[in-house]
Amino acid sequence: MRVSSGQPWTAWRGNIPVTSLYTAGLAGQDFLEALKSRGEITGSKCAKCRQVYVPASIFCERCFGELKERVRVGPEGEVVTFTVCHLDLDGRELARPQVAAAVRLDGATSVLVHRGLGDVAKWKIGARARVRLAAKRRGSILDIEGFELA
Amino acid sequence: MMEPRLGTPLSSEDFEQGKVFTESYAPKAEYAWDTGPSIGRYLAELKEGRLVGRTCRACKRTFIPPRSFCELCFRPADDWVVFPGTGKVNTFSLCYITWDMRKLKDPQIPAVIEIDGASEGHGILHLLGNVDPKQVKVGMRVRAVWKPAPERAGAITDILHWEPMP
Repeated sequence: MRVSSGQPWTAWRGNIPVTSLYTAGLAGQDFLEALKSRGEITGSKCAKCRQVYVPASIFCERCFGELKERVRVGPEGEVVTFTVCHLDLDGRELARPQVAAAVRLDGATSVLVHRGLGDVAKWKIGARARVRLAAKRRGSILDIEGFELA
Repeated sequence: MMEPRLGTPLSSEDFEQGKVFTESYAPKAEYAWDTGPSIGRYLAELKEGRLVGRTCRACKRTFIPPRSFCELCFRPADDWVVFPGTGKVNTFSLCYITWDMRKLKDPQIPAVIEIDGASEGHGILHLLGNVDPKQVKVGMRVRAVWKPAPERAGAITDILHWEPMP
């Protein structure tokens, strides 16, 4: 390769070894514990603002108040919006299109974003969807396999 | 009033015993840094077993590593110079711990080596080798020990280390 000056282009190549270990936090821990051990979806309620955040959170986004009350939501809800992805994170074409769906679970005021399972063509805004749990659960957001249409 | 939050301390055990849920991630952080013409040739010459620098005729300096412009005169650099591959220790350190915090029995000895042929005080950071750590002195005369030609890759590590002059 040549650059405009006519000099041969040379590059020093390397790889920065970066690894991270992300902890779920206080509310995230509650959310994942309930998901792993009981297969339940947990939100946090702000009575003052009449909000239920999913996943559970330690504070209210509106009043910044501390949220201590945890409530069980779902496992069904309404499809608020979704998108059909044809490319993966690296921009490569997916073998099969993948739905990413935002579902407001029953009892929640916020949406949970996860995979939309099943036939892509059947997904509609306003449709009913249900959480499908993974066969093996380890305390991860992937303990939810995705949403399936109800 | 709400109690002030002081965070939630976690111990190594909390992680090791799986008391807290975690997600780990390793991004693929690859890069290609454009060397520019001067460092490009510097690396190419290292592969040939030569140490080179450049001059600025205005301030009469000879510098290493070579640069495309003189940072004092702010004008393009002039000639290329091949150095003999000898120098003297400007400063050094005895390191009993590696960059990633492993203990070492025999220390690594990083040193700034003033390169013969370059202007006073001009040099590069490298390693000393074939030397008793107790014998290392500032001002000590050293020479480059090169990797065998087939192993050289066009990198500063094509010089294995610098050893005391006999």
